[in-house]
Amino acid sequence: MHFFSQTFDFNHPWSHVVIGMWRKYPNPKCSHVISIDVIDRSVDSNTGIIRTERVLGCKQKAPGWIVKLFGGSEDAFVREIIFVDPATQNATITSVNLSLSQFATCFERIQYTPSTHDTTLFSQTAEIQARMALWRSAADGLEKWLAQRFEQNAQLGKLAFTDVLRTLWEERHAQQATS
Amino acid sequence: MAQSLSAECTPLKVEYDSCFNAWFEGYLEPAVAAASSPDARTAYSKRKADEYDQKCGPVWEKYKACVQKAVKDKGLDVLLQQAREEHPLTEPPPLPPPSASAHSSAKTA
Repeated sequence: MHFFSQTFDFNHPWSHVVIGMWRKYPNPKCSHVISIDVIDRSVDSNTGIIRTERVLGCKQKAPGWIVKLFGGSEDAFVREIIFVDPATQNATITSVNLSLSQFATCFERIQYTPSTHDTTLFSQTAEIQARMALWRSAADGLEKWLAQRFEQNAQLGKLAFTDVLRTLWEERHAQQATS
Repeated sequence: MAQSLSAECTPLKVEYDSCFNAWFEGYLEPAVAAASSPDARTAYSKRKADEYDQKCGPVWEKYKACVQKAVKDKGLDVLLQQAREEHPLTEPPPLPPPSASAHSSAKTA
């Protein structure tokens, strides 16, 4: 598992940061983000909390070995859940990869909270984890297959050498008997 | 505004995003101010939620239908379903205590 975290302050009040949050893309500095779609959104008429579910489409060249091993393509999709709670002045973005998710997950959380009256604390954490259960079952399967092949080959090897020894010494004994 | 994952949905997406952003920019600061009193918060939330439905509801329904089809066409519906089962994220996550120390770090476990 790999962890990543960082925090810093933006020199803008919380409400300005949260308004700007919806306008982050497209951005020439993040040209890998190609598409953004809201797929679900609700405004809670009691708490005022807004929940948004988005799908981001990214284009990023993966190293050749990753493409060979896991398939996939340049297109990668990410699911994002955003909560904006005006009452607590808290905005969180949780994102998880959809592409290659059967192999590994990248779970990211971003939080925007007021730092001072006109600055906003940005904190970001991410956990990147290969799906160990998958690797374990694949590794178990590989070991089992190798063990079976080994047993079969060992059995055949024993029979094969038995044949060689029998033939060799039967011939030698026969030769001795006739000379 | 970024494009939609399907070109045919982009015009609806742009229209919907503009509608939401305009509504949100009017919503946010009074919502923060209204939070000091529970009654004021509820009254304001109700009024603004209705206003959002009224203003952006029609274009949202059209955009949603378009993007749902696009999600399915790209085979993302299955992946989304799995992701939703694993992390429903239907409630805001609990607030972690903000760390005042390290400003940037990356480590391997």
